[in-house]
Amino acid sequence: MWFFRSPEIVFGEDALSFLNGLDFRKIVIITDENIKKSGLASMVQRSLPEGSSSLVVSDIPEEPTLADIKKRLNAVSEFAPDLIIGLGGGSSMDAAKAIFAIYERPDLDIYDITPLVKLNLRSKAKLILVPTTSGTGSECTWAAVLSDEDHSRKNELASTEIIADFAILDPALVLRLPPGITRNTAVDAITHAVEARSSQWRNYYSDIFAEKAMELITQNLPIVIKDPENIRAREEVHIGASMAGIAFSNSQVGLAHAMGHSLGAHFRIPHGITVALYLPQVVEFSEPDARESYLSLMNKMPEKFRKGNLADSLRAFFSEIGQPLNVKDCGIDRKEYSGRLESLVALAEESTGCVTNPREASSSELRELFENVM
Amino acid sequence: MPKFPTEEWASEYVEKLNSNPAYKDAGKNWEGDITFVIKSDDSFDKDAFLYLDLHHGECRGSKFTVDSSEIPQSEFKYIGKYTNWIRLINKEIDPIQGILTGKFKLEGSMMKIMKFTKAAKEMVSTASTVNTE
Repeated sequence: MWFFRSPEIVFGEDALSFLNGLDFRKIVIITDENIKKSGLASMVQRSLPEGSSSLVVSDIPEEPTLADIKKRLNAVSEFAPDLIIGLGGGSSMDAAKAIFAIYERPDLDIYDITPLVKLNLRSKAKLILVPTTSGTGSECTWAAVLSDEDHSRKNELASTEIIADFAILDPALVLRLPPGITRNTAVDAITHAVEARSSQWRNYYSDIFAEKAMELITQNLPIVIKDPENIRAREEVHIGASMAGIAFSNSQVGLAHAMGHSLGAHFRIPHGITVALYLPQVVEFSEPDARESYLSLMNKMPEKFRKGNLADSLRAFFSEIGQPLNVKDCGIDRKEYSGRLESLVALAEESTGCVTNPREASSSELRELFENVM
Repeated sequence: MPKFPTEEWASEYVEKLNSNPAYKDAGKNWEGDITFVIKSDDSFDKDAFLYLDLHHGECRGSKFTVDSSEIPQSEFKYIGKYTNWIRLINKEIDPIQGILTGKFKLEGSMMKIMKFTKAAKEMVSTASTVNTE
């Protein structure tokens, strides 16, 4: 027995106008400073139902902690919204999920947000997530990542009750995404697709979403990088990223995420860069147990990148778009990386990605995978 | 060939767990005891309990009983019906998916145990190596 879960999805040009027809009166928008400055928060505000009032909480930091969430709860509770909108990348959307849950249930410990606890949410508000990057897939998943206060660990909160009521995918919101962020977030989505398609928990539903995501992203990302305002290509990458989110949310990610989370906690570099750094290594390692999955994915890539196996095809693709394939190119000092290998392995081993990866790695194999990108 | 769940099965399981290097590696940082609760169903007529004292990749002690009052209080309980336990041992159910689908219940900190899923998986893999009748 297993499940398929997804929010209701509104997508395509002008998707944001969907908000206008909804029957909500008091709306909180959770976002970050950059999104506010870019005018995207105002764009969402202009799309809200006539006569509604809104509060914009625009100071969500990158990789929010529990304290960051608590600090913003009072303002949200005092405003008493009937709708919470998470607008931004993974940090803002994950913060919105956590704030939504704790606003509904102030009696909850944030770490009660696990599949074991019935949360009984949605008595006060609904949740809508609106991504402004094409990568995290958080708008479609039932997990939220919050960092420890010292950022030494990323904690994954998970409950099917924090999945959004609606996800809105409007390409206008990603049209002016800077090239670096476009690439870093899209490679995160590629990693979601690859790991979802080969996960030990993969299923017919997640397979279909992962394959289509791989096709949409790898066929269109090179176009977006050359022509950032190509709205058709932007839209396809945007939809592909959300499909990758649905895929892994219904099957789980693997070792590249386990390793990437560990690297991110140690060096605080963007999540997409960390997971994509390890992906070709992990694919090579897992190949004996995931041949069919990897072949299907490779065949979704543009022909010019296909190099006989998925690992080399990914390397060719990443090289073309400028994605780093070793720690030095990620801006990490090799000596410092080397000095932290033991701790990198230990933290990665705490991730469920280690048991859902198609081939399980021992501590020494995991260490070797970390070493291979030096 | 021992039957599941019996004292004979439990002692063979503990022996195999302690000689499994993959479990030793995956559980090297684990501290905490757990009780497997096997609930009766149409195929098994009484509840049974297997208490395991696990510490740094080793099972330091265990107790099998059908009397709940004899079981020490443990930090975790992993609870499921007999038939689902058999499916788990035969690797037809994944231990984490078992929780998410309601076939098993976990009492104790999910946050803590989620950091040791590799060890949990090795515990199940070990169970499947016990030559069970």
